[in-house]
Amino acid sequence: MKYTSRYGLRLGVLRFLVFGLLLALFGQLWYLQIVGGETYRRAAVENHVRDVVVPADRGRILDDQGRALVANRTVLRITVDRIALSRQRDHGTAVLHRLAGLLRVSYADVQHRITLCGKGVPQPCWNGSPFQPIPVSEQADPMVALQINEQSESYPGVSAEVATSRSYPRPSQALAAHVLGYVAPISEGELSTLSTEQQDIRRNDVVGRAGLETSYNGLLSGRDGIRRVAVDAVGGVTATVSETPAVSGDDLLTSLDAKVQAVLERALGLGLARARSFGQPAKTAAGVVLDAQTGHVVAMASYPAYNPEIFIGGISAADYRAVTSRKAGVPLLNRAIQGEYAPGSSFKPISVSAVVKEGTANFHDTYSCPSGVTIGNRVFHNFESTSLGQINMHTVLVKSCDTVFYQFANHDWFADQRRIKNGQPPIEAVQNMARAYGLGQDTGIDLPSESGGLIEDRASKLARWKTYLRRNACAGAKRRPASDPIHQLDVENCTDGWRFRDADQANENIGQGTVLVTPLQLAAAYASLVNGGTVYSPRIGAVVRAPNGRIVRRIASPVRGHVPISARLRADIVSALYDVPRAGTAAGAFGGFPLDTVHVGGKTGTAQSGLDTKYDTSWFASFAGLPGKPAKYVAVVTIPQAGQGARAAAPAVRAIWEGIFGVGQAPAAKPSQTSGRRP
Amino acid sequence: MTTLADSLVALRGRSSMRERLRMRDTVVRRFDFLLLGSSLTLCALGAVLVWSATRGPAAISGTSPTEYLHRDALNIGIGVMLGAVTMVLGGPRLRRWTPGVYLLACALLLLVLGPLGATVNGSHSWIILGGGFQLQPAEVAKLALVLSLALVLGEWRATPEGPGTPEVLLVLGLAAVPIGLVLLQPDLGTVMVLVFTVIGVLMVSGASRRWVVALLLVGVLGSIGVVQLNVLKDYQLQRFTAFLHPGTDPRGFGYNATQAKITVASGGLLGVGLGHGAQTSGRFVPEQHTDFIFTVAGEELGFLGCSVILALLGLVLWRGLRIAARSPDPYGALVAAGVVCWFAFQTFQNIGMTVGLMPITGLPLPFLSYGGSAMFANLVAIGLLESVAIGTPRRVR
Repeated sequence: MKYTSRYGLRLGVLRFLVFGLLLALFGQLWYLQIVGGETYRRAAVENHVRDVVVPADRGRILDDQGRALVANRTVLRITVDRIALSRQRDHGTAVLHRLAGLLRVSYADVQHRITLCGKGVPQPCWNGSPFQPIPVSEQADPMVALQINEQSESYPGVSAEVATSRSYPRPSQALAAHVLGYVAPISEGELSTLSTEQQDIRRNDVVGRAGLETSYNGLLSGRDGIRRVAVDAVGGVTATVSETPAVSGDDLLTSLDAKVQAVLERALGLGLARARSFGQPAKTAAGVVLDAQTGHVVAMASYPAYNPEIFIGGISAADYRAVTSRKAGVPLLNRAIQGEYAPGSSFKPISVSAVVKEGTANFHDTYSCPSGVTIGNRVFHNFESTSLGQINMHTVLVKSCDTVFYQFANHDWFADQRRIKNGQPPIEAVQNMARAYGLGQDTGIDLPSESGGLIEDRASKLARWKTYLRRNACAGAKRRPASDPIHQLDVENCTDGWRFRDADQANENIGQGTVLVTPLQLAAAYASLVNGGTVYSPRIGAVVRAPNGRIVRRIASPVRGHVPISARLRADIVSALYDVPRAGTAAGAFGGFPLDTVHVGGKTGTAQSGLDTKYDTSWFASFAGLPGKPAKYVAVVTIPQAGQGARAAAPAVRAIWEGIFGVGQAPAAKPSQTSGRRP
Repeated sequence: MTTLADSLVALRGRSSMRERLRMRDTVVRRFDFLLLGSSLTLCALGAVLVWSATRGPAAISGTSPTEYLHRDALNIGIGVMLGAVTMVLGGPRLRRWTPGVYLLACALLLLVLGPLGATVNGSHSWIILGGGFQLQPAEVAKLALVLSLALVLGEWRATPEGPGTPEVLLVLGLAAVPIGLVLLQPDLGTVMVLVFTVIGVLMVSGASRRWVVALLLVGVLGSIGVVQLNVLKDYQLQRFTAFLHPGTDPRGFGYNATQAKITVASGGLLGVGLGHGAQTSGRFVPEQHTDFIFTVAGEELGFLGCSVILALLGLVLWRGLRIAARSPDPYGALVAAGVVCWFAFQTFQNIGMTVGLMPITGLPLPFLSYGGSAMFANLVAIGLLESVAIGTPRRVR
């Protein structure tokens, strides 16, 4: 038993060590579970709870008859996960090559689509979050999708899923691409303005990037739902913890009429064809049809157009180049609200309003219409230097005599100069009247990125000269040799470019030179002639309707102002304009048109578009309606580099009226406007 | 009529009867019921935890939710029988067979390195027996080493003044063979258990303090040194690095450490309740029914449940130490001490790695982890302890 005491001592040491180890474990457990429990519990929850976003259906965009212009459809979306690719040995090159082959696109195209946008990265690139799967195709063939899902080991990081995307049913072949706009994934910049929680939820959102999709994005997009799910270690869903259902976006019922829209789009093509048949280059065009009485837009088109479907699932490099190509006329531009053009003679009703209201002229007096008038040291001529003798204002408008307006300009300009000399402010009657008609400023239409145009006066010219005219002119004067014709102009503008000269006023009175308007501005101005003088801020949206059919909001066109002329004068002007298609400048274009059944008035415009081209901008601003009633619609067509208004734009407008009222072979796009009988 | 005196006599007589009864020394009375009870309770708790860890719908290899529970119960049953056989065979026969067991263990360890072995989780430590049965020779090696050490130090070379340098060297030589073979698999956890068992048994046997301290130093520094000297394979190094910096690689090797810690800690005081652990049902902890079984207890049973498990393990170790202290011969004492060292270090290493005290190594938690070989070895070890216990005459205070 000798060993026992020795062992006893050593066993005591062992017991001490063993229970020491157990105590250490106990202590650490206490520290983890009791002291730090809360922190780890939170980590555990983060571990196994995921928020899954249930995207809301985007609202549709409908025309005034309930025909869908933009709807949704179910598509097969192929996405690429950049993170998964970056983990592969070759950073996914092989997978992308295989995928490109499967989708029958080039490797470079797929590569471009998943490249993150940034400085110096050409479009198309990925504007969204680098952490979300990037769509490379939304129109995948079901067989392709099946192949990707079944051979997932050949396509790591690639997935195919069912998704919804925008569709464009094109009722009556109406495209209206510029008006409708398109959607694209939310950008990192837009995300960064949101709260962190919202960022996670909205990472996969699409937002309107143009047109109505942008203006009404908030109403159309609805509210995404959130499904909180429990997941296991490999991300498999084991249970749904809670769910906030998605709320579908509201439908937007517009005042657009698909049939009229189609008529307008065809009419622009017709106008372009006409212009080209006269040897004009005519590559672009714009047109708008307004309901003159309500200020709502019935149709709006811009040429060249584009197919909005190219934006579905991310636009390809080639498509993006095509829709932004200057050579192709930048199809993305909506020229009806973004194109600024000198209106030419279509501006004359505004000039007449000004000079009659100001007392410079009387509508029923006669004025001489010589072939030319000397202003400053230059002679300003009539179109083709015609002389019409003594004529009244009615004839001035019908025949579009320029020299009468030059004389008014001279008179007004000298009167204003005298006022300035006497320390009084200038009146600038034509400019003020133009602004009263809503020209030279945004109409405030429910579309993004509208252009304002320009109505030049003494103050604005001085401001322009100060900000950039002087700098450019002075630099040009130094750079160009004295022999260059522009050299002389630069020298003059360098020192005197701020002066608003008599010639400037003369040009202004006939809508030339520094007057710039958009087709929509002119249409809204003409609408005021036939609706009692109200200048509307036009609207395309008419009714916002919830998915359950409840009317959320009715949209009326806000009134921007009233043109301060007498009803008498307005009636005189309108009556003159009704004679333009009968006996005036548009008589040729409207030859054979049943003007007795459909009353059409309007004014042609032929505007010189500056130094860079010898081709004129062709305008026709028109209103029409049934006899005995105020005109219902206003239509304006603008075709740059197309020559005279009477030869390109007027025939296009005629085609619009034919389409709307059902003249000739065309069935009426607006049957209610035909008073029951076919003319 | 009984008198007061009669009653007193009767009372005295009865009390002496009771005294005699108390003094009676039988096998049944020598048997340590507390040891058996606590170890079987641990086994039962383990089975429940294994069930909780494997009952999910995404159960490994599509088995039924109770598949692992059934297999664990079967393992326990077989283990109890093996333990009983071990206890009945008892001292003399086991002593005779010890060299054979040692050689068998070494042979199996050699075999596992050959083409018969299978690699699981980076270690070449399984022999596939076919029919779904696998054998882990490292578990046999633990038993063989405990028996061999006791035989050498407690009988063959037992000296009144404790083992001298030649005995220590002999023991180290004997231990070096299985340890070296396990290191080749490589199974670092088992190597550490074997090393610390050898040191513990040498200490209890009365080896000089210098030897014990020197060996302890070698053991601790060796573990660190192995890492530093890059002797370990890549995966083991990563496990160690992950232990030191768990945040650096949340999905790699640090993932185990982080998830294990989160799972244990999220249980709090009372746990989330059996079968309600989101971490457990979500399978965030790999190897949860085997090496990481303690995390299930941590999450679902909380600090209280973990304390009960620690207490039961402490009870087993305490009974083991008690048996060692009471053993009439050094052999029995060393067998018991060896088992205690083995269980103690393996428990510390296993739970320690789930709570972030120790690096991650592949070691089962005695009695609780799922796994046949380990379960058999553990219950055979209990059988060994009981055989020592029933070989010990009852002592009455």
